[in-house]
Amino acid sequence: MKRVISVAVAALLLTASAACSDPGSTTTTDNSATTWADPTAKLDGVKLTIWAAQNSNTVPQKVIDGFQKATGATVQVVTIPDPYEQGVQTKVATGDKPDLAFWQPTASMLTAINAKTNLQPLTGAPWLDKMDPKLKDLTGLLGDTRYAALITSPAVEGVYYNKQVFAANGITSTPKNFDDMVTLARQLKAKGVTPFYEMGADRWATQWWVQVQLADAAKAGLWDRINTGKEKFTDPTVLGAITRYQSLIKEGLFNSDIKTAKFEDQGAALLNGKTAMVVQVNSFFGQLQAKADTATLNQKIGFFPISPTGNIGTSIPDQSNALVAFKTGDAKREAAARQLLAYWMGPGYQDFITDRNTVSLETAVPNPSGVPQALLDVHAAVGSSVGSMQSLAVANPDLYINLADMIAGTMDPQQVAKATQDQFAQLAKAAGAAGF
Amino acid sequence: MWFLLPAYAVLLLFFFVPTAFNFIYAFTDWSSFKAAINPVGLDNFTQLASDGTLFRALRITVLYAVLVAIFQNLFGFGLAVLLERDTVVNRIARTFFLIPVLMSALAVGYIFQALLKPSGAVDQLFGIHYAWLADTHWTIVVVALIHAWKWMGLSMLIYLAGLKTIPEDITEAARIDGASRWRSFWRIRVPMLAPAVTFNVATALLGSMNGFDIVQATTGGGPARTTEILNIFIYRTFGQGLFAQATTMSLVLFLLVALMAFPVIYVLRKREAIL
Repeated sequence: MKRVISVAVAALLLTASAACSDPGSTTTTDNSATTWADPTAKLDGVKLTIWAAQNSNTVPQKVIDGFQKATGATVQVVTIPDPYEQGVQTKVATGDKPDLAFWQPTASMLTAINAKTNLQPLTGAPWLDKMDPKLKDLTGLLGDTRYAALITSPAVEGVYYNKQVFAANGITSTPKNFDDMVTLARQLKAKGVTPFYEMGADRWATQWWVQVQLADAAKAGLWDRINTGKEKFTDPTVLGAITRYQSLIKEGLFNSDIKTAKFEDQGAALLNGKTAMVVQVNSFFGQLQAKADTATLNQKIGFFPISPTGNIGTSIPDQSNALVAFKTGDAKREAAARQLLAYWMGPGYQDFITDRNTVSLETAVPNPSGVPQALLDVHAAVGSSVGSMQSLAVANPDLYINLADMIAGTMDPQQVAKATQDQFAQLAKAAGAAGF
Repeated sequence: MWFLLPAYAVLLLFFFVPTAFNFIYAFTDWSSFKAAINPVGLDNFTQLASDGTLFRALRITVLYAVLVAIFQNLFGFGLAVLLERDTVVNRIARTFFLIPVLMSALAVGYIFQALLKPSGAVDQLFGIHYAWLADTHWTIVVVALIHAWKWMGLSMLIYLAGLKTIPEDITEAARIDGASRWRSFWRIRVPMLAPAVTFNVATALLGSMNGFDIVQATTGGGPARTTEILNIFIYRTFGQGLFAQATTMSLVLFLLVALMAFPVIYVLRKREAIL
């Protein structure tokens, strides 16, 4: 009896341990060239799944309707709860994969999902020639391989400002560089206006202030040096940007409730003219669109990119801007997933951007008429923009949390830089980057 | 014997195997970045030990657990004494105090977050402007109070059960011997509650060591990470794709809870020896 039980237990242990071994360990080598079917070829009986976040799950609706009608395939959108990236990474780590997913198309996030093993290369995608040449290779690449399809204009870090506040204080043109902007902020402060508004409690936007100051350095290869360990966050370039940010806060150029303010407060403050400027990304404008109509926004809100030497934007494509296709092991569904992307960026693209009321990325497809001016200004900044930390660094440390701690008063700039560098090194080492 | 097998199989599959893997993965470089999992020895432990974050998170976790244990037992005990008699009002009141126990912890957290925000309902009630959840010194106490508020109904129930099982004749004998109500309460009834104290203190202390939901919903670990208990740190690390490091931390938490559980339960059981 005892022996029977111990054998049974041993057997169970073995099957259990087999079940728990790493599901990603079967690396497929992909030597065959990627093939692309006609976007409207018949796919009767094929079922595709797209993972989306709470803020992107309605994005594909129009495309899916068209694709289903044209091909006979069934496409289902599954919403992964926030925080989306963590949810997806956890599921993929346990072997659960969709056919397609919204994903931030930056090098650091493609590394984080282990693109080489998990994602289909999108080499030779049929829509690339149709795209605005400036945007074609902006993002979505890891090394030389393309893993993501950019569907909408990527987010840009820059300054959203209240046109009416500027006009009321006699400001007729937007600042020409970062120092100009600070001078302008001091003038506004002298007139009793809160120049800048930051959300210390929600934390994530704090990093934009440091990143826009690094735009010129990024152009000169800052992130390449950081990626190889030749330069650190603690060296003068990044540390200087952090210190400058703190000194602007200490000077009183920000809202007095900077420690407790949230994302919502930031949008309200800019819209009702409580503050003049906010350094933010496109999702901030999305919040404004939820609060006001296009006519009001065109009247009130403007956008300009900023960098130390001029008006260079810092681009940071986010999860709602792009899709990746997974290697599921089912060749038919993998091909169908590629076909859906080709339909999306091909026959379905005009309907898609009209439905989303957003800027077109393809030269032959005109913008819908109702796109707000600020979004057009953001898009205009994309072409000349430089990549953000998320786009160009091999890892994405929690710089924003450390900066929020600095705002709360528990860290100084040196500690922020050191904590960020330590975490960057840890992540870079896990990602297998040389020099860590 | 055979009928026990399914139960053991479930226990093995869903408890022993994951626990064993919790030990194994802590010594590897498992991450979302690559497919292979390689052993790395004690790397994760030395890396964590050299970084001050782990010790800060541990310190906050223990402080949080102690605060919750104190508050939850004070509230629970007070409520049990107040609501001991079986009147209609008391019965209704007991039910109301038990409702938070049944509520979703996240819901509780979000409700309090809304109540306590600067110029929120609580500030308006007192006519002040104070950011309850943004004070780097006192927010941990506020969050511990919320945690205790949610679970005080359970402590109340156990203390009530303890009070109900004290034989009537003992208190009656004390009264005949001339003991005041005050004296017989503190000298007779409270010591007789020792088993209830053991259960309540141990579950509150060790349960809140594993806390996550209420802190995540109220502060998310802020302000400036002063409420970042270990589970929130683990959650963040896991979210970064550093699965092995997160596993290492949860192993440390497991060992810490085990190390604290034995002496705490031993001391509390000792107090019951007089019974």
